Amino acid sequence: MKLRRPDYRERPENVTPLINVVFLLLIFFMMAGQLSRTDPFPLDPPASASEREPAKQPATLYVAADGRIAVGGEDVELDGLAGALAKARDEDAGRLRLKADKGADAARVVAVMDRVREAGVARIDLLTVRGGG
Amino acid sequence: MPPPNQARPSRLRNRRRRRASVSLTPLIDVVFILLVFFMLASSFQSWRSIAMEPPVERGGGGGGAPAVLIRLHPGGGLDLNGRRVGRAELRRRLDTYAGREQPPRVLIEPRSGVPLQRAVRVIDLVEAAGLTRTRLLTDAGGGG
Repeated sequence: MKLRRPDYRERPENVTPLINVVFLLLIFFMMAGQLSRTDPFPLDPPASASEREPAKQPATLYVAADGRIAVGGEDVELDGLAGALAKARDEDAGRLRLKADKGADAARVVAVMDRVREAGVARIDLLTVRGGG
Repeated sequence: MPPPNQARPSRLRNRRRRRASVSLTPLIDVVFILLVFFMLASSFQSWRSIAMEPPVERGGGGGGAPAVLIRLHPGGGLDLNGRRVGRAELRRRLDTYAGREQPPRVLIEPRSGVPLQRAVRVIDLVEAAGLTRTRLLTDAGGGG
């Protein structure tokens, strides 16, 4: 008996605090973060003083710094944009979110918005991040 | 009576020890995997937005209201109604426009080669002056 006792004390490692912490972290990340579809290419959004919350609907149009355009996860050309838009947004036809890189050519972005207008979208939310002024 | 009383707690203790020995390792595995998933998949960027109406075509849809045109040139210059102005001058002029009885619409025309960030800065400037009817104008390509 006296020889066995040290073995007995080593065995049960207490993992309850670890589980507590891990659970708290899990809940934090579940609540605080938001899951969203990953962008088709890396984007660095422009900074703006605007404090407006963007609309929540998922129909998003992407414009990369080099001018590439993507809707609903697939790359499109400027000419095929209207058709791709009609497919991507079927429920809330009047609105669209536009996620463009801050280094993208503004004239290109305006040309894209022009096509969007031709597709019948009345309002565009240009997504920005906070900062600057 | 003492013997049974002593025996009962010891049996309870035994039972407790047996229950604690249920392995927690699979639970921890799953929770860790969930944690890693949520850490990698969730984003913490807080988005803001600028509400915009789609751009107008040159010469279309004026509606009779007065309008001012801000043209952005690649390389940093901008002009207001065809006259080259600096940033401070632009802000002053915009404030005067906003003070008018019927504030004009503001059309912003970025020339090709202007990064979007500059256009957004100018839009910010216009909105800070209190002019709300901002629109982008498509670049007609050269000319003017």
